[in-house]
Amino acid sequence: MVLQVKKACKNFGGLSALSDVSFSINQGEIFGLIGPNGAGKTTMFNLITSMFTPTSGEIIFNEDNINGLKPHLITKKGICRTFQNIRLFPQMTAEENVMVGEHCRSKSGVFSSVFRTKSQRKEEERIRSKANELLEFVGLGGFADVVSDSLAYGQQRRLEIARALASSPQLLLLDEPAAGMNETETSELFHLIKKIQEQSITVLLIEHDMPLVMKLCDRIAVLNFGKKIAEGTPAEIQNNSDVIEAYLGSEEEDLYA
Amino acid sequence: MLAELINPYYLQVASFILINIILGVSIYITLSTGQLSLANAGFMGIGAYTSALLTLNFDLPIIGGILAGTLLAGVFGILIGIPTLRLQGVYLAIVTLGFGEVIRVIFVNWESMTKGAVGLSGIPHMGRELLNTLKEFGFDPKILGLQNNQFVFLAIFLILLGVTISIITFFRRQNRSRVGRAFAAIKLDEKAAESMGINITYYKVLAFAQGALVAGFAGALFAHVLAYISPADFAYHRAVEILIFAVFGGSEVIWGPVFGALFLTVMPEVLRFISEYRYMIYGLIIIIMMAVRPQGLIDVNILNWLKLKTSKRRQKHGTSSQKSM
Repeated sequence: MVLQVKKACKNFGGLSALSDVSFSINQGEIFGLIGPNGAGKTTMFNLITSMFTPTSGEIIFNEDNINGLKPHLITKKGICRTFQNIRLFPQMTAEENVMVGEHCRSKSGVFSSVFRTKSQRKEEERIRSKANELLEFVGLGGFADVVSDSLAYGQQRRLEIARALASSPQLLLLDEPAAGMNETETSELFHLIKKIQEQSITVLLIEHDMPLVMKLCDRIAVLNFGKKIAEGTPAEIQNNSDVIEAYLGSEEEDLYA
Repeated sequence: MLAELINPYYLQVASFILINIILGVSIYITLSTGQLSLANAGFMGIGAYTSALLTLNFDLPIIGGILAGTLLAGVFGILIGIPTLRLQGVYLAIVTLGFGEVIRVIFVNWESMTKGAVGLSGIPHMGRELLNTLKEFGFDPKILGLQNNQFVFLAIFLILLGVTISIITFFRRQNRSRVGRAFAAIKLDEKAAESMGINITYYKVLAFAQGALVAGFAGALFAHVLAYISPADFAYHRAVEILIFAVFGGSEVIWGPVFGALFLTVMPEVLRFISEYRYMIYGLIIIIMMAVRPQGLIDVNILNWLKLKTSKRRQKHGTSSQKSM
Protein backbone atom coordinates (compact mmCIF):
# COMPACT_ATOMS: atom_id res chain seq x y z
CA MET A 1 0.00 0.00 0.00
CA VAL A 2 1.41 3.35 -1.01
CA LEU A 3 -0.93 5.64 0.85
CA GLN A 4 -3.25 5.05 3.75
CA VAL A 5 -5.61 7.70 5.03
CA LYS A 6 -6.98 6.72 8.44
CA LYS A 7 -9.99 8.54 9.86
CA ALA A 8 -8.86 11.93 8.60
CA CYS A 9 -10.80 14.91 9.98
CA LYS A 10 -10.36 18.54 9.18
CA ASN A 11 -12.33 21.34 10.80
CA PHE A 12 -12.18 24.98 9.83
CA GLY A 13 -13.50 26.71 12.93
CA GLY A 14 -16.89 25.10 13.50
CA LEU A 15 -17.14 23.86 9.94
CA SER A 16 -16.18 20.28 9.36
CA ALA A 17 -14.66 19.94 5.90
CA LEU A 18 -13.73 16.29 6.28
CA SER A 19 -14.89 13.82 8.89
CA ASP A 20 -13.55 10.33 9.42
CA VAL A 21 -12.46 9.72 5.86
CA SER A 22 -10.41 6.57 5.36
CA PHE A 23 -9.15 4.95 2.21
CA SER A 24 -5.99 3.35 0.94
CA ILE A 25 -4.27 3.29 -2.40
CA ASN A 26 -2.31 0.34 -3.77
CA GLN A 27 0.98 0.59 -5.60
CA GLY A 28 0.53 1.34 -9.31
CA GLU A 29 -3.15 2.12 -9.09
CA ILE A 30 -5.09 5.05 -10.54
CA PHE A 31 -7.37 6.03 -7.71
CA GLY A 32 -10.22 8.47 -8.28
CA LEU A 33 -11.59 10.88 -5.70
CA ILE A 34 -14.93 12.26 -6.80
CA GLY A 35 -17.85 14.06 -5.30
CA PRO A 36 -19.99 17.15 -5.76
CA ASN A 37 -18.51 20.63 -5.35
CA GLY A 38 -17.47 21.39 -1.79
CA ALA A 39 -17.30 17.73 -0.83
CA GLY A 40 -13.77 18.13 0.56
CA LYS A 41 -11.70 16.65 -2.26
CA THR A 42 -9.16 19.45 -2.50
CA THR A 43 -9.02 19.64 1.31
CA MET A 44 -8.03 15.96 1.20
CA PHE A 45 -5.17 16.85 -1.20
CA ASN A 46 -4.08 19.64 1.10
CA LEU A 47 -3.95 17.22 4.02
CA ILE A 48 -1.93 14.67 2.08
CA THR A 49 0.58 17.30 0.94
CA SER A 50 0.65 18.86 4.42
CA MET A 51 -0.57 22.25 3.25
CA PHE A 52 -3.02 21.77 6.13
CA THR A 53 -2.51 19.57 9.17
CA PRO A 54 -5.40 17.23 9.90
CA THR A 55 -7.51 17.99 13.00
CA SER A 56 -7.31 14.29 13.76
CA GLY A 57 -6.51 11.09 11.96
CA GLU A 58 -3.40 9.76 10.29
CA ILE A 59 -1.89 9.83 6.84
CA ILE A 60 0.58 7.07 6.18
CA PHE A 61 2.85 6.99 3.16
CA ASN A 62 4.98 3.88 2.63
CA GLU A 63 4.52 2.91 6.27
CA ASP A 64 5.66 6.35 7.51
CA ASN A 65 3.30 8.67 9.29
CA ILE A 66 3.62 11.94 7.39
CA ASN A 67 1.32 14.06 9.55
CA GLY A 68 2.74 17.51 10.19
CA LEU A 69 5.79 17.18 7.96
CA LYS A 70 6.70 20.37 6.11
CA PRO A 71 5.27 20.40 2.56
CA HIS A 72 8.70 20.41 0.93
CA LEU A 73 9.65 17.27 2.85
CA ILE A 74 6.48 15.56 1.65
CA THR A 75 7.64 16.25 -1.89
CA LYS A 76 11.03 14.83 -1.05
CA LYS A 77 9.40 11.67 0.30
CA GLY A 78 7.76 11.18 -3.09
CA ILE A 79 4.35 12.84 -3.20
CA CYS A 80 3.82 15.67 -5.65
CA ARG A 81 0.70 17.46 -6.82
CA THR A 82 -0.84 19.74 -9.40
CA PHE A 83 -3.31 22.47 -8.58
CA GLN A 84 -6.97 22.93 -9.44
CA ASN A 85 -6.32 26.53 -10.49
CA ILE A 86 -3.06 26.24 -12.39
CA ARG A 87 -0.11 27.48 -10.37
CA LEU A 88 2.85 27.55 -12.70
CA PHE A 89 5.63 30.10 -12.30
CA PRO A 90 4.23 32.50 -14.88
CA GLN A 91 7.34 34.37 -16.00
CA MET A 92 9.55 31.29 -16.28
CA THR A 93 9.89 29.29 -19.45
CA ALA A 94 8.40 25.81 -19.65
CA GLU A 95 11.86 24.30 -19.26
CA GLU A 96 12.63 26.39 -16.16
CA ASN A 97 9.32 25.43 -14.60
CA VAL A 98 10.17 21.76 -14.91
CA MET A 99 13.73 22.39 -13.69
CA VAL A 100 12.31 23.92 -10.51
CA GLY A 101 10.37 20.68 -10.05
CA GLU A 102 13.65 18.79 -9.81
CA HIS A 103 14.77 20.93 -6.89
CA CYS A 104 14.44 18.28 -4.22
CA ARG A 105 16.28 15.68 -6.34
CA SER A 106 19.35 17.88 -6.74
CA LYS A 107 21.62 19.49 -4.21
CA SER A 108 23.94 22.23 -5.53
CA GLY A 109 24.24 25.05 -3.01
CA VAL A 110 25.36 28.65 -3.23
CA PHE A 111 29.08 28.06 -3.50
CA SER A 112 29.07 25.17 -5.94
CA SER A 113 26.68 27.24 -8.09
CA VAL A 114 28.83 30.36 -8.03
CA PHE A 115 32.13 28.58 -8.59
CA ARG A 116 30.61 26.19 -11.14
CA THR A 117 32.18 23.07 -9.71
CA LYS A 118 32.34 19.99 -11.87
CA SER A 119 29.58 18.21 -9.98
CA GLN A 120 27.37 21.29 -10.21
CA ARG A 121 27.79 21.51 -13.99
CA LYS A 122 27.06 17.80 -14.33
CA GLU A 123 23.97 18.12 -12.16
CA GLU A 124 22.74 21.14 -14.12
CA GLU A 125 23.24 19.18 -17.35
CA ARG A 126 21.28 16.25 -15.93
CA ILE A 127 18.45 18.48 -14.68
CA ARG A 128 18.14 20.18 -18.04
CA SER A 129 18.09 17.01 -20.08
CA LYS A 130 15.58 15.39 -17.75
CA ALA A 131 13.40 18.49 -17.99
CA ASN A 132 13.43 18.23 -21.76
CA GLU A 133 12.61 14.53 -21.63
CA LEU A 134 9.63 15.30 -19.42
CA LEU A 135 8.43 18.08 -21.72
CA GLU A 136 8.64 15.58 -24.57
CA PHE A 137 6.78 13.04 -22.42
CA VAL A 138 3.79 15.33 -21.83
CA GLY A 139 3.79 16.47 -25.45
CA LEU A 140 5.39 19.89 -25.04
CA GLY A 141 8.59 19.01 -26.86
CA GLY A 142 8.83 22.19 -28.91
CA PHE A 143 7.88 24.57 -26.14
CA ALA A 144 10.92 24.50 -23.86
CA ASP A 145 11.73 28.19 -24.33
CA VAL A 146 8.17 29.49 -24.27
CA VAL A 147 7.21 31.53 -21.22
CA SER A 148 4.64 29.41 -19.40
CA ASP A 149 2.21 32.31 -19.18
CA SER A 150 1.80 32.38 -22.94
CA LEU A 151 1.07 28.65 -23.32
CA ALA A 152 -2.47 27.55 -24.12
CA TYR A 153 -4.62 26.41 -21.22
CA GLY A 154 -4.41 22.70 -21.96
CA GLN A 155 -0.66 22.99 -22.41
CA GLN A 156 -0.33 24.72 -19.06
CA ARG A 157 -2.17 21.81 -17.45
CA ARG A 158 0.24 19.34 -19.03
CA LEU A 159 3.22 21.49 -18.07
CA GLU A 160 2.06 21.35 -14.47
CA ILE A 161 2.03 17.56 -14.69
CA ALA A 162 5.56 17.60 -16.14
CA ARG A 163 6.71 19.86 -13.30
CA ALA A 164 5.21 17.51 -10.72
CA LEU A 165 6.78 14.47 -12.43
CA ALA A 166 10.16 16.21 -12.28
CA SER A 167 10.29 15.58 -8.54
CA SER A 168 10.27 11.81 -9.32
CA PRO A 169 7.19 11.11 -7.24
CA GLN A 170 5.88 7.67 -6.28
CA LEU A 171 2.45 9.16 -5.81
CA LEU A 172 1.14 11.86 -8.12
CA LEU A 173 -1.88 13.91 -7.07
CA LEU A 174 -3.82 15.46 -9.94
CA ASP A 175 -6.44 18.05 -9.04
CA GLU A 176 -8.99 18.29 -11.86
CA PRO A 177 -6.47 17.91 -14.69
CA ALA A 178 -9.23 17.85 -17.34
CA ALA A 179 -11.00 21.00 -16.17
CA GLY A 180 -11.65 23.27 -19.11
CA MET A 181 -10.34 20.83 -21.70
CA ASN A 182 -12.11 19.92 -24.92
CA GLU A 183 -12.64 16.29 -26.00
CA THR A 184 -9.40 15.92 -27.95
CA GLU A 185 -7.39 17.36 -25.10
CA THR A 186 -9.17 15.12 -22.62
CA SER A 187 -8.40 12.02 -24.63
CA GLU A 188 -4.74 13.09 -24.86
CA LEU A 189 -4.82 13.51 -21.10
CA PHE A 190 -6.24 10.00 -20.72
CA HIS A 191 -3.30 8.55 -22.63
CA LEU A 192 -0.85 10.69 -20.69
CA ILE A 193 -2.14 9.47 -17.33
CA LYS A 194 -2.04 5.88 -18.58
CA LYS A 195 1.58 6.42 -19.64
CA ILE A 196 2.35 7.78 -16.16
CA GLN A 197 0.82 4.64 -14.65
CA GLU A 198 3.02 2.49 -16.90
CA GLN A 199 6.05 4.11 -15.28
CA SER A 200 4.76 2.57 -12.03
CA ILE A 201 3.76 5.90 -10.56
CA THR A 202 0.62 5.72 -8.47
CA VAL A 203 -1.98 8.36 -9.33
CA LEU A 204 -4.61 9.93 -7.12
CA LEU A 205 -7.04 11.88 -9.25
CA ILE A 206 -9.74 14.42 -8.50
CA GLU A 207 -11.95 14.90 -11.52
CA HIS A 208 -15.45 15.98 -12.47
CA ASP A 209 -15.36 14.53 -15.97
CA MET A 210 -17.22 11.26 -15.20
CA PRO A 211 -16.57 9.43 -18.49
CA LEU A 212 -12.85 10.07 -18.02
CA VAL A 213 -12.89 8.97 -14.39
CA MET A 214 -14.81 5.78 -15.20
CA LYS A 215 -12.45 4.88 -18.04
CA LEU A 216 -9.27 5.74 -16.20
CA CYS A 217 -9.60 4.72 -12.58
CA ASP A 218 -9.03 1.30 -11.08
CA ARG A 219 -10.85 2.25 -7.91
CA ILE A 220 -12.87 5.27 -6.83
CA ALA A 221 -13.85 6.85 -3.53
CA VAL A 222 -16.82 9.20 -3.38
CA LEU A 223 -17.00 12.10 -0.94
CA ASN A 224 -20.10 14.09 -0.09
CA PHE A 225 -20.24 16.82 2.57
CA GLY A 226 -16.86 15.72 3.93
CA LYS A 227 -17.83 12.08 4.38
CA LYS A 228 -16.92 9.07 2.30
CA ILE A 229 -20.14 7.60 0.97
CA ALA A 230 -18.78 4.88 -1.29
CA GLU A 231 -15.65 3.15 -2.50
CA GLY A 232 -15.16 0.59 -5.22
CA THR A 233 -14.54 -0.13 -8.86
CA PRO A 234 -16.06 2.19 -11.47
CA ALA A 235 -18.85 -0.33 -12.14
CA GLU A 236 -19.75 -0.58 -8.45
CA ILE A 237 -19.74 3.19 -8.08
CA GLN A 238 -21.98 3.69 -11.10
CA ASN A 239 -24.62 1.44 -9.57
CA ASN A 240 -24.35 2.66 -6.00
CA SER A 241 -27.61 4.27 -4.95
CA ASP A 242 -25.96 6.65 -2.44
CA VAL A 243 -23.69 8.00 -5.16
CA ILE A 244 -26.53 8.45 -7.58
CA GLU A 245 -28.45 10.29 -4.89
CA ALA A 246 -25.51 12.58 -4.11
CA TYR A 247 -25.09 13.50 -7.73
CA LEU A 248 -28.64 13.50 -9.05
CA GLY A 249 -30.83 13.82 -5.97
CA SER A 250 -33.14 11.05 -4.74
CA GLU A 251 -36.04 9.68 -6.74
CA GLU A 252 -38.56 11.15 -4.36
CA GLU A 253 -37.29 14.63 -5.13
CA ASP A 254 -37.58 13.78 -8.80
CA LEU A 255 -41.30 13.20 -8.38
CA TYR A 256 -41.79 16.74 -7.24
CA ALA A 257 -39.47 18.27 -9.77
CA MET B 1 50.30 62.04 -19.10
CA LEU B 2 48.37 59.77 -16.76
CA ALA B 3 48.54 62.44 -14.10
CA GLU B 4 46.57 64.92 -16.17
CA LEU B 5 43.81 62.43 -16.81
CA ILE B 6 43.25 61.50 -13.21
CA ASN B 7 41.07 63.90 -11.32
CA PRO B 8 40.55 62.94 -7.67
CA TYR B 9 37.09 64.48 -7.65
CA TYR B 10 35.82 62.31 -10.47
CA LEU B 11 37.40 59.28 -8.90
CA GLN B 12 35.67 60.07 -5.63
CA VAL B 13 32.31 60.32 -7.38
CA ALA B 14 33.01 57.09 -9.23
CA SER B 15 33.81 55.37 -5.91
CA PHE B 16 30.49 56.46 -4.44
CA ILE B 17 28.73 55.18 -7.54
CA LEU B 18 30.34 51.80 -6.98
CA ILE B 19 29.35 51.71 -3.31
CA ASN B 20 25.81 52.62 -4.28
CA ILE B 21 25.79 49.87 -6.89
CA ILE B 22 26.74 47.37 -4.18
CA LEU B 23 23.87 48.72 -2.06
CA GLY B 24 21.55 48.40 -5.05
CA VAL B 25 22.60 44.76 -5.42
CA SER B 26 21.92 44.19 -1.72
CA ILE B 27 18.27 45.19 -2.01
CA TYR B 28 17.95 43.27 -5.26
CA ILE B 29 18.97 40.01 -3.57
CA THR B 30 16.24 40.12 -0.94
CA LEU B 31 13.76 41.32 -3.56
CA SER B 32 14.56 38.34 -5.75
CA THR B 33 12.69 36.14 -3.26
CA GLY B 34 9.86 38.67 -3.17
CA GLN B 35 10.81 40.18 0.19
CA LEU B 36 10.93 43.97 0.31
CA SER B 37 13.43 44.88 3.01
CA LEU B 38 14.15 48.48 3.98
CA ALA B 39 16.63 47.42 6.64
CA ASN B 40 19.62 47.63 4.33
CA ALA B 41 20.57 51.13 5.52
CA GLY B 42 20.66 49.68 9.04
CA PHE B 43 22.81 46.72 7.95
CA MET B 44 25.06 49.19 6.17
CA GLY B 45 25.40 51.12 9.42
CA ILE B 46 26.23 47.98 11.35
CA GLY B 47 28.97 47.14 8.85
CA ALA B 48 30.34 50.69 8.88
CA TYR B 49 30.38 51.18 12.66
CA THR B 50 31.74 47.71 13.40
CA SER B 51 34.63 48.10 11.02
CA ALA B 52 35.34 51.69 12.03
CA LEU B 53 35.32 50.95 15.76
CA LEU B 54 37.47 47.84 15.44
CA THR B 55 40.10 49.59 13.34
CA LEU B 56 40.05 52.72 15.53
CA ASN B 57 40.08 51.11 18.96
CA PHE B 58 41.84 47.81 18.41
CA ASP B 59 44.19 48.65 15.54
CA LEU B 60 42.71 45.86 13.49
CA PRO B 61 43.87 45.97 9.86
CA ILE B 62 41.21 47.41 7.53
CA ILE B 63 40.56 44.07 5.85
CA GLY B 64 39.86 42.48 9.23
CA GLY B 65 37.49 45.31 10.13
CA ILE B 66 35.59 45.03 6.85
CA LEU B 67 35.29 41.29 7.26
CA ALA B 68 33.99 41.60 10.83
CA GLY B 69 31.53 44.34 9.86
CA THR B 70 30.22 42.30 6.95
CA LEU B 71 29.77 39.17 9.04
CA LEU B 72 28.07 40.98 11.91
CA ALA B 73 25.62 42.57 9.46
CA GLY B 74 24.97 39.08 8.08
CA VAL B 75 24.29 37.73 11.57
CA PHE B 76 21.80 40.54 12.13
CA GLY B 77 20.29 39.67 8.75
CA ILE B 78 19.58 36.14 9.97
CA LEU B 79 18.24 37.43 13.29
CA ILE B 80 15.84 39.80 11.53
CA GLY B 81 15.09 37.42 8.68
CA ILE B 82 13.73 34.57 10.78
CA PRO B 83 11.00 36.37 12.77
CA THR B 84 9.87 38.34 9.71
CA LEU B 85 9.42 35.24 7.53
CA ARG B 86 5.66 35.34 7.78
CA LEU B 87 5.42 38.99 6.87
CA GLN B 88 4.91 40.10 3.32
CA GLY B 89 4.83 43.25 1.26
CA VAL B 90 4.06 46.42 3.16
CA TYR B 91 4.18 44.72 6.57
CA LEU B 92 7.71 43.48 6.01
CA ALA B 93 8.73 46.90 4.68
CA ILE B 94 7.43 48.64 7.81
CA VAL B 95 9.11 46.21 10.20
CA THR B 96 12.45 46.42 8.44
CA LEU B 97 12.22 50.20 8.24
CA GLY B 98 11.61 50.22 11.98
CA PHE B 99 14.67 48.02 12.51
CA GLY B 100 16.79 50.52 10.57
CA GLU B 101 15.57 53.34 12.78
CA VAL B 102 16.35 51.35 15.93
CA ILE B 103 19.90 50.84 14.70
CA ARG B 104 20.27 54.55 13.98
CA VAL B 105 18.92 55.52 17.40
CA ILE B 106 21.40 53.15 19.04
CA PHE B 107 24.25 54.84 17.15
CA VAL B 108 23.01 58.24 18.32
CA ASN B 109 22.55 57.30 21.96
CA TRP B 110 25.39 54.92 22.68
CA GLU B 111 27.69 57.90 23.05
CA SER B 112 30.48 56.23 25.02
CA MET B 113 31.05 53.93 22.07
CA THR B 114 29.85 55.73 18.95
CA LYS B 115 30.35 59.38 19.94
CA GLY B 116 26.65 59.91 19.27
CA ALA B 117 25.40 62.27 16.62
CA VAL B 118 28.86 63.78 16.15
CA GLY B 119 29.97 60.60 14.46
CA LEU B 120 33.33 58.89 14.17
CA SER B 121 36.19 60.64 12.45
CA GLY B 122 39.75 59.67 11.69
CA ILE B 123 38.78 56.21 10.52
CA PRO B 124 41.74 54.59 8.74
CA HIS B 125 41.46 55.52 5.07
CA MET B 126 41.69 52.60 2.70
CA GLY B 127 43.71 54.40 0.03
CA ARG B 128 46.10 56.17 2.38
CA GLU B 129 46.76 53.01 4.39
CA LEU B 130 47.55 51.21 1.18
CA LEU B 131 49.91 53.98 0.11
CA ASN B 132 51.71 53.92 3.48
CA THR B 133 52.13 50.17 3.32
CA LEU B 134 53.46 50.35 -0.21
CA LYS B 135 55.84 53.16 0.75
CA GLU B 136 57.37 50.91 3.38
CA PHE B 137 58.34 48.62 0.54
CA GLY B 138 59.96 51.56 -1.22
CA PHE B 139 57.14 52.27 -3.64
CA ASP B 140 56.59 55.84 -4.74
CA PRO B 141 53.56 56.90 -6.81
CA LYS B 142 55.90 59.14 -8.80
CA ILE B 143 57.12 56.03 -10.59
CA LEU B 144 53.67 56.01 -12.22
CA GLY B 145 53.83 59.77 -12.66
CA LEU B 146 51.12 60.29 -10.02
CA GLN B 147 50.72 62.64 -7.08
CA ASN B 148 50.12 61.00 -3.73
CA ASN B 149 46.43 61.85 -3.55
CA GLN B 150 45.87 60.87 -7.17
CA PHE B 151 47.28 57.46 -6.38
CA VAL B 152 45.14 57.20 -3.25
CA PHE B 153 41.89 57.82 -5.08
CA LEU B 154 42.85 55.73 -8.05
CA ALA B 155 43.65 52.81 -5.75
CA ILE B 156 40.30 53.11 -3.98
CA PHE B 157 38.47 53.25 -7.28
CA LEU B 158 40.22 50.20 -8.66
CA ILE B 159 39.67 48.18 -5.48
CA LEU B 160 35.97 49.07 -5.44
CA LEU B 161 35.65 48.33 -9.13
CA GLY B 162 37.12 44.88 -8.63
CA VAL B 163 34.90 44.24 -5.63
CA THR B 164 31.75 45.43 -7.42
CA ILE B 165 32.43 43.30 -10.47
CA SER B 166 33.03 40.25 -8.26
CA ILE B 167 29.79 40.81 -6.37
CA ILE B 168 27.75 41.21 -9.54
CA THR B 169 29.38 38.12 -11.06
CA PHE B 170 28.70 36.17 -7.88
CA PHE B 171 25.00 36.92 -7.90
CA ARG B 172 24.59 36.55 -11.65
CA ARG B 173 26.01 33.07 -11.39
CA GLN B 174 23.90 32.29 -8.36
CA ASN B 175 20.82 33.43 -10.26
CA ARG B 176 21.44 31.06 -13.12
CA SER B 177 21.55 27.98 -10.92
CA ARG B 178 19.42 25.81 -8.69
CA VAL B 179 19.52 28.45 -5.94
CA GLY B 180 18.47 31.22 -8.33
CA ARG B 181 15.58 29.12 -9.64
CA ALA B 182 14.43 28.50 -6.08
CA PHE B 183 14.55 32.26 -5.36
CA ALA B 184 12.56 33.04 -8.49
CA ALA B 185 10.02 30.30 -7.76
CA ILE B 186 9.43 31.66 -4.26
CA LYS B 187 8.99 35.16 -5.63
CA LEU B 188 6.49 34.04 -8.25
CA ASP B 189 4.37 31.65 -6.16
CA GLU B 190 5.38 30.72 -2.65
CA LYS B 191 2.82 27.93 -2.17
CA ALA B 192 3.63 26.30 -5.48
CA ALA B 193 7.36 26.57 -4.75
CA GLU B 194 6.83 24.87 -1.41
CA SER B 195 4.89 22.00 -2.89
CA MET B 196 7.60 21.53 -5.54
CA GLY B 197 9.97 20.64 -2.71
CA ILE B 198 11.65 23.97 -2.09
CA ASN B 199 12.47 24.72 1.53
CA ILE B 200 11.16 28.28 1.52
CA THR B 201 12.27 29.04 5.08
CA TYR B 202 15.86 28.29 4.19
CA TYR B 203 15.91 30.24 0.95
CA LYS B 204 14.10 33.28 2.30
CA VAL B 205 16.46 33.56 5.26
CA LEU B 206 19.39 32.91 2.94
CA ALA B 207 18.34 35.79 0.67
CA PHE B 208 17.78 38.07 3.64
CA ALA B 209 21.19 37.24 5.11
CA GLN B 210 22.93 37.66 1.76
CA GLY B 211 21.31 41.08 1.33
CA ALA B 212 22.44 42.04 4.84
CA LEU B 213 25.98 40.77 4.21
CA VAL B 214 26.30 42.77 1.03
CA ALA B 215 24.83 45.91 2.62
CA GLY B 216 27.13 45.53 5.63
CA PHE B 217 30.06 45.10 3.26
CA ALA B 218 29.10 48.28 1.39
CA GLY B 219 28.84 50.09 4.73
CA ALA B 220 32.30 48.95 5.85
CA LEU B 221 33.79 50.08 2.53
CA PHE B 222 31.94 53.38 2.89
CA ALA B 223 33.53 53.97 6.31
CA HIS B 224 37.06 53.41 5.02
CA VAL B 225 36.58 55.43 1.86
CA LEU B 226 35.08 58.47 3.58
CA ALA B 227 37.05 58.14 6.85
CA TYR B 228 34.13 59.77 8.63
CA ILE B 229 30.70 58.35 9.49
CA SER B 230 27.75 59.59 11.51
CA PRO B 231 24.35 58.08 12.30
CA ALA B 232 22.74 60.40 9.74
CA ASP B 233 24.53 58.47 6.98
CA PHE B 234 22.38 55.42 7.75
CA ALA B 235 19.04 57.05 8.39
CA TYR B 236 15.68 56.79 6.70
CA HIS B 237 16.96 58.80 3.73
CA ARG B 238 19.53 56.17 2.94
CA ALA B 239 16.94 53.39 3.15
CA VAL B 240 14.74 55.23 0.67
CA GLU B 241 17.68 56.00 -1.58
CA ILE B 242 18.58 52.31 -1.80
CA LEU B 243 14.96 51.46 -2.50
CA ILE B 244 14.85 54.03 -5.29
CA PHE B 245 17.81 52.37 -7.02
CA ALA B 246 15.68 49.25 -7.37
CA VAL B 247 12.40 51.06 -8.11
CA PHE B 248 13.92 53.28 -10.76
CA GLY B 249 16.30 50.80 -12.37
CA GLY B 250 14.06 47.78 -11.94
CA SER B 251 14.34 44.74 -9.72
CA GLU B 252 13.67 41.91 -12.17
CA VAL B 253 17.27 41.63 -13.30
CA ILE B 254 20.46 42.54 -11.46
CA TRP B 255 21.29 45.22 -14.03
CA GLY B 256 18.22 47.17 -12.92
CA PRO B 257 19.47 48.34 -9.50
CA VAL B 258 23.00 48.61 -10.91
CA PHE B 259 21.78 51.04 -13.54
CA GLY B 260 19.54 52.81 -11.01
CA ALA B 261 22.46 53.36 -8.63
CA LEU B 262 24.69 54.56 -11.44
CA PHE B 263 22.19 56.98 -12.90
CA LEU B 264 20.87 58.36 -9.65
CA THR B 265 24.35 58.96 -8.22
CA VAL B 266 25.64 60.65 -11.35
CA MET B 267 22.58 62.83 -11.84
CA PRO B 268 22.94 65.10 -8.78
CA GLU B 269 26.65 65.54 -9.58
CA VAL B 270 26.04 66.49 -13.17
CA LEU B 271 23.09 68.69 -12.34
CA ARG B 272 24.61 70.37 -9.31
CA PHE B 273 21.94 73.07 -9.19
CA ILE B 274 19.16 70.56 -8.52
CA SER B 275 20.94 68.42 -5.98
CA GLU B 276 19.20 70.36 -3.20
CA TYR B 277 15.89 69.09 -4.51
CA ARG B 278 17.12 65.51 -4.71
CA TYR B 279 14.57 64.02 -2.34
CA MET B 280 11.73 65.87 -4.05
CA ILE B 281 12.88 64.39 -7.32
CA TYR B 282 13.10 60.94 -5.75
CA GLY B 283 9.50 61.27 -4.62
CA LEU B 284 8.46 62.29 -8.09
CA ILE B 285 10.37 59.37 -9.61
CA ILE B 286 8.54 56.87 -7.38
CA ILE B 287 5.16 58.26 -8.37
CA ILE B 288 5.93 58.36 -12.08
CA MET B 289 7.55 54.93 -12.14
CA MET B 290 4.67 53.31 -10.24
CA ALA B 291 2.18 54.79 -12.67
CA VAL B 292 4.06 54.24 -15.92
CA ARG B 293 6.55 51.47 -15.46
CA PRO B 294 6.16 49.55 -12.19
CA GLN B 295 8.82 47.00 -13.12
CA GLY B 296 11.52 49.71 -13.40
CA LEU B 297 13.48 50.89 -16.42
CA ILE B 298 15.49 47.75 -17.04
CA ASP B 299 13.55 44.51 -17.38
CA VAL B 300 13.95 41.20 -19.19
CA ASN B 301 12.38 42.51 -22.39
CA ILE B 302 14.74 45.45 -22.62
CA LEU B 303 17.73 43.19 -22.02
CA ASN B 304 16.60 40.78 -24.75
CA TRP B 305 16.08 43.71 -27.11
CA LEU B 306 19.57 45.01 -26.38
CA LYS B 307 21.06 41.56 -26.92
CA LEU B 308 19.28 41.28 -30.24
CA LYS B 309 20.55 44.69 -31.28
CA THR B 310 24.16 43.99 -30.43
CA SER B 311 24.13 40.56 -32.02
CA LYS B 312 22.65 42.04 -35.23
CA ARG B 313 25.30 44.71 -35.29
CA ARG B 314 28.00 42.11 -34.81
CA GLN B 315 26.61 40.07 -37.66
CA LYS B 316 26.70 43.13 -39.88
CA HIS B 317 30.36 43.60 -39.10
CA GLY B 318 30.99 40.03 -40.05
CA THR B 319 32.24 38.74 -36.72
CA SER B 320 30.53 35.62 -35.56
CA SER B 321 28.01 36.01 -32.79
CA GLN B 322 26.50 32.61 -32.45
CA LYS B 323 27.36 32.46 -28.82
CA SER B 324 25.22 34.61 -26.62
CA MET B 325 24.40 34.29 -22.98
